Amino acid sequence: MKKVCKYAVAAAIIAFLVYHSIYFENLEDIKQQRRKGTFNAAEYAREFWDNQLFSVFDKAVDVEELIELFNTNMNEAVRKYGKAPGVSRVYSYLIKGNGKILTIAKDFLEVSIRETQTNPDIKITTGFYIPGNAVRDASGLIDVSEFSDTMKFNEISGEINKIVVKEVIRPFLEEKPQVGNTIRFLGATQVSQEATEAKEFQLIEVVPIRLRLE
Amino acid sequence: MVRKLFLLTIAILALTLFVSGCRQKKQAKTDQEKAQGKKKIAVVISTLNNPWFVVLGNTAKERAEQLGYEVTIFDSQNDTAKESDHFDNIIAGGYVAILFNPTDADGSIANVRKSKEAGVPTFCIDREINSNEVAATQILSDNYTGCVELGQYFVKRMDEKGKYVELLGILGDNNTWNRSKGFHSVVDNYPELKMVSQQTAEFDRTKAMEVLESTLQAYPEIDAVFCGNDAMAMGAYQALVAAGKADKVMVFGFDGAKDVIDSIHDGKIVATGMQFPKRMARMAAEQADEYIKGRRDFPQKVPVAVELVTQENIAKYTAYGRQSEQ
Repeated sequence: MKKVCKYAVAAAIIAFLVYHSIYFENLEDIKQQRRKGTFNAAEYAREFWDNQLFSVFDKAVDVEELIELFNTNMNEAVRKYGKAPGVSRVYSYLIKGNGKILTIAKDFLEVSIRETQTNPDIKITTGFYIPGNAVRDASGLIDVSEFSDTMKFNEISGEINKIVVKEVIRPFLEEKPQVGNTIRFLGATQVSQEATEAKEFQLIEVVPIRLRLE
Repeated sequence: MVRKLFLLTIAILALTLFVSGCRQKKQAKTDQEKAQGKKKIAVVISTLNNPWFVVLGNTAKERAEQLGYEVTIFDSQNDTAKESDHFDNIIAGGYVAILFNPTDADGSIANVRKSKEAGVPTFCIDREINSNEVAATQILSDNYTGCVELGQYFVKRMDEKGKYVELLGILGDNNTWNRSKGFHSVVDNYPELKMVSQQTAEFDRTKAMEVLESTLQAYPEIDAVFCGNDAMAMGAYQALVAAGKADKVMVFGFDGAKDVIDSIHDGKIVATGMQFPKRMARMAAEQADEYIKGRRDFPQKVPVAVELVTQENIAKYTAYGRQSEQ
């Protein structure tokens, strides 16, 4: 009997310790929580495109002014207009302007924005695949710290670029632009701080957000 | 019986009091140490078996020491259980901050949470954890964008056609998927570029060599190998040398490690993405110092851009960074 009591007390102590060391949670509850937390990049991009992006259109810098700053004072261009999500030599810019189409290539237009209009100043992307984060970052509206997993932040760029192709580039190309046409645009570009150090300054590439023939 | 039961209860209570007493003495000793000597910072690295991470750890240590701290490096050996043990020791040992290179984006969250609850801030370096609630800040390589750029260069070098193999890193590491997805976000748009094999070699040079040797048995005619890090790129290159194909198959890596930078210089490996381990490690040490001195407004995630290094621009770069930053 004494032994039985001893074992009973020992068992009770062990049971007490084990009970407070282990937690049981319903697997279905966990799965439901995870489903609620599932991120939909396409929906996010849609909401951004429809309801947020237009709010920064008035912050777009005139492309002629920006190119002038790139050539004379890159640091000032970065300070005044550049956006980057973290530490980078590449900054994104929201830009606007108009110009004349000088060349129509497979994936881009070469456009002159200067009055003399003999040499191209910018390239406007018109391909059906757009890499990069220009629109996402130039807007300054999406904060990487909103996302617990940066892959979600990355997926947003891909979805925004798909919208650009479908809703900006394709309709523009259906209007059958020609060399010599004048266009008006608002878009985003990414330029390295070291761009002006290259032997030849490359034409800046603009991802269009708004693009129309005049 | 009642007497024996009473004695057993007293013994349990005494043991409990003894253990908590020891903890208080240790805390008192730690407080005394803090008052008298340098504060301690811990640097926890996923693995010291990879030279890139050795540079990350050593740079963090060096910068923290310059800022006046006593620093210890802990090697998690890619094992979340070891990592957990390190965190327990760090918390008990009175460290005031942790500079942390996580082993697993999900598995490491609990460790950072327990250090936060113990009042020890954690600063993630290079790799993230999938939580915005527990680390003081996370300084990350922008692997996705880096691999978008690498992917564009890959397409250009492959002339938009050909067969290639992909070697992935550790499957539980977000960096593995950020790199792979960034690469594929470009390359998959070119239907004449065909991936014949995609396997993990766990960021390990020896495993990469073995995996590619085996892959070449099944697919002897390939044009390129894309590797999720430079250690695997070196292993892949070794396998190609052994197979007599090193001059026919292009190898692309990611990290900016010394052996690959030297290899690019020599015209062997074609390209890599330069992460900046020294830059990230210094930032982490400096932000830990700012935190200890009172700053709290850190952005949760800080992406650090990755730069494409090729045989054309190799002169600007050296191991683990730019020439101009050394």
